[in-house]
Amino acid sequence: MMIKKVLKPVASLKLTVIIFALSIFLIFAGTLAQVHAGIWTVVDQYFRSLVVTIDLQIFMPKDVATIPGAIWFPGGLTLGTAMLINLIAAHTVRFKFTKKRFGIILTHLGVILLLVGEFVTGFAAKEGNLTIREGETVNFVENIRATELAIIDQSAPEDDLIVVVPDRFLEHDKTITHGLIPFEIEVVEWMTNSQIFGPNQAPQDRRGIADTGSASQLVAMPLPEASGVDGSGVDAPSAYITISSNGQRIGTYLLSVYLEQPQAVVLEDRTYWIDLRFARTYKPYSMKLIDFKHDLFTGTQMARNYSSQVQLVDEDRNVDREVLIYMNHPLRHAGETFYQASFLQDDAGTVLQVVKNPGWLIPYVSCVLVTLGMLIHFGMRMAPKPKRKVS
Amino acid sequence: MNMFKTILPWIVLVLALVYSGQKLIMPERVESQYNLNEFRQLPVSAHGRTKPIDTVARNSLMNISGRQSIRTDDGQVTAIEWYINLVTDPEGSEDLQVFRIDHPDVLSLLGLDREKRTRFSFGEMRPKFDEINRQAMKAGQLTAKQRDPFQRAVLVLNQRLMLYSSLTQLNNPYLVAPMTTSDTWRSLIDALGEDPADADARLVLGMYQAYQAEDVAGFNTQLATLTEAVAQALPYDSKKAGYEVAFNQSKPFISAAVIFVFAFLFGCFGLLTNQMKDKTWATTLLRTMTALLVVAFLIQTIGIASRVYLQGRPPITNLYSSAVFIGWFSVLIGLIIDRKNNSGLGGMMASVIGFGSLIIAHNLGSSGDTMEMMQAVLDSNFWLATHVVVVTIGYSATFFAGFLGIAYVTLGVFTPRLDRERGKSLIKMTYGVICFATVTSFVGTVLGGIWADQSWGRFWGWDAKENGAALIVLWNLLILHARWGGMIRDRGLVVLAIFGNIITAWSWFGTNMLGVGLHSYGFTNSAVFWIAIFVVSQLVFMGLGLLPIIIWRSKFERLSPAEGS
Repeated sequence: MMIKKVLKPVASLKLTVIIFALSIFLIFAGTLAQVHAGIWTVVDQYFRSLVVTIDLQIFMPKDVATIPGAIWFPGGLTLGTAMLINLIAAHTVRFKFTKKRFGIILTHLGVILLLVGEFVTGFAAKEGNLTIREGETVNFVENIRATELAIIDQSAPEDDLIVVVPDRFLEHDKTITHGLIPFEIEVVEWMTNSQIFGPNQAPQDRRGIADTGSASQLVAMPLPEASGVDGSGVDAPSAYITISSNGQRIGTYLLSVYLEQPQAVVLEDRTYWIDLRFARTYKPYSMKLIDFKHDLFTGTQMARNYSSQVQLVDEDRNVDREVLIYMNHPLRHAGETFYQASFLQDDAGTVLQVVKNPGWLIPYVSCVLVTLGMLIHFGMRMAPKPKRKVS
Repeated sequence: MNMFKTILPWIVLVLALVYSGQKLIMPERVESQYNLNEFRQLPVSAHGRTKPIDTVARNSLMNISGRQSIRTDDGQVTAIEWYINLVTDPEGSEDLQVFRIDHPDVLSLLGLDREKRTRFSFGEMRPKFDEINRQAMKAGQLTAKQRDPFQRAVLVLNQRLMLYSSLTQLNNPYLVAPMTTSDTWRSLIDALGEDPADADARLVLGMYQAYQAEDVAGFNTQLATLTEAVAQALPYDSKKAGYEVAFNQSKPFISAAVIFVFAFLFGCFGLLTNQMKDKTWATTLLRTMTALLVVAFLIQTIGIASRVYLQGRPPITNLYSSAVFIGWFSVLIGLIIDRKNNSGLGGMMASVIGFGSLIIAHNLGSSGDTMEMMQAVLDSNFWLATHVVVVTIGYSATFFAGFLGIAYVTLGVFTPRLDRERGKSLIKMTYGVICFATVTSFVGTVLGGIWADQSWGRFWGWDAKENGAALIVLWNLLILHARWGGMIRDRGLVVLAIFGNIITAWSWFGTNMLGVGLHSYGFTNSAVFWIAIFVVSQLVFMGLGLLPIIIWRSKFERLSPAEGS
């Protein structure tokens, strides 16, 4: 009884309606925010946060009027949790298992599952890309939302020594040192998103500052963060770094995820390779791209289908087979799903998206429950009422 | 008199059927010595789809000039005549005023003056081709978001000029069918470039040359030979091409739009006469309206079914077809509601939505082929048939509830006709439609999530279109829960239902306007303008709904303060 008393205000329908209204506003704002910010930034700020600061400017195009200021607003995590509590409380307080309420209970059970599913996805799902050139074999997945600086020492006969620096250090720290590398790295300029120009293509007011390395002729220019409504929505970072050893300057290098070859740092007798690349996770399986196909509609440049013929090898699981991955036909292997996502220039290779989401099945179950529940609930009301005998 | 009242609905029904059916049964013929009626059925390939040359001609002319036929000093010229004259005699066609140009700065760039016309000829623009090209290059370097209206207009003009040249240079459409010498479609130029003696290409070329030489008999015989050969190589495509020409001719959606106007008028008169002592007039007029709606529904059904057959796809593949579908489904809802109670309001709102959606479709379809091929990622008939159809039904139902709300407010504020009985039944209808909308929009949205999970591994990505769908679901849920919790009564319900129109319009169009994708849907600034008008109008209706009941001309609510929900 005590519990019910406490829960009663939490279980009110008024609260439900308020939560719906706040959610609607949040989603609307979170959509508008994508005009200027990247979709993943928005998802983190708006939908997977407790509190969000909403800039009022998003409600008005900048060229029409400037609106300063921002408001605090409950984030998606707060509203989702509130909805969950409200729903569970409502059923605890008013729980009656009658035929009339069966549909509602089923529907709400489905909604609870849907919310739980989104929590699981938010916390546990991992996404990455598997980029393979034709004929190449790859055994790592790249996280295109994070980059890392890799310093590779190939001097040992057996294994390479690789030191990896995550991008958050590059963004905020000015100098990077590590016990295993005999030099210092100073980040001169970090670009979260960038474009690269050839020797004479860059705008005149932008000069490259690299003086060493194979990319010293190229010029990198910062770009605004890729926004959610733009095509690719992927940031391509670049950085200018200066390397020095024992106080002696070795050179300034340009590093970029656009560059395929790492840069060589020559230090007396040894050569180190440095590379800015999307953060890698090595996998127990490997994939070899046998063939990538990009079919067009007759007489157009419009894609009809993309498909990747790959050889999947996973010794732990005794798997060694050929698979065809194409649009709307992903491969599921070892708890991960591989989707045809993109391709390299000139169809030279494929980009597969790799997703590991332990909660992937939840929405399916939820959908069935809610649909069934709503059909039962509304169906019972629509159905003709049995005629009562006049007594 | 009674006899007349009985048969009036039937007479109107037959008239409407004759009006819309005549074009289907007796297609308009092109009056010409050349057998253009057969020529236009010739299958060709353009933008990846095999279609009759009639469709290419119509869509090209529509794209360039905004019309499917042109007026000259010699009278009306159909699209197919324009096309064949253009490709066989480009110089002679140069002075036809076909290019529609509206933007004043583009006109001044061309040194043209917008005195009394909005259409200009290829010849008039010729001296400025380099300048158009230069401006288009500059505009093309910007992203769609950065372009100003002038730059967008220049790009449109440039694209129209390119389309025009591709027709005259015989690059587009692909005219040479895969018959004996090749197994793919080829353009005439390519085929002859590969082998000047290519038999298939020669067949096509010969026909065009005969037309050029004004050799009527030669053209007709060569055409017959070619038609025969194509039909043998591609029997299915040939049959479909013939059907598509009939479909183009019959313009079912235009007939339906006209019928909706009449249906609405009959509905209005029915409502007006309802106050007369003799109720039979009202019944007759409303029955007539229903008869018209049935015909319109039938025509729309045939139209949609034809598109499904021609495209080999479920009914909704782009914004154009979603507009058509929303109208079609609204009519279905209206007819069902009117069967349950005879107020006629369901039918009236159905005719409003039906007409409005067809106008929207007409404007969306003006830039080219409405049966274009689909992007690879959307290429899944299963999900198009489930997710897209269900979610669009959800859109229709949410709109319908909103329009019932408008009917409630309009009748209540401006007329004394919203009596208790009618008010109650309207509320019941609105509530029922909202329930239906909740189910369909929820199921449709979740199905979309499942499709997303199937095709790129993410059930929910918080992108603009998904969020739009979620807003509709949440809004309907908000209305229902507010109602169940006693927070709103009748007027609250209708006012919130009207706001549902704004949310649905946002999900349907607004999300497309956010990004770079504007042009890909043929969006222009005028679309933004019209959506703004729509939103304001809905806010006005909501404001009216919130006026104190004392100002309402229908006073029913005051009589029963205790009642409400």
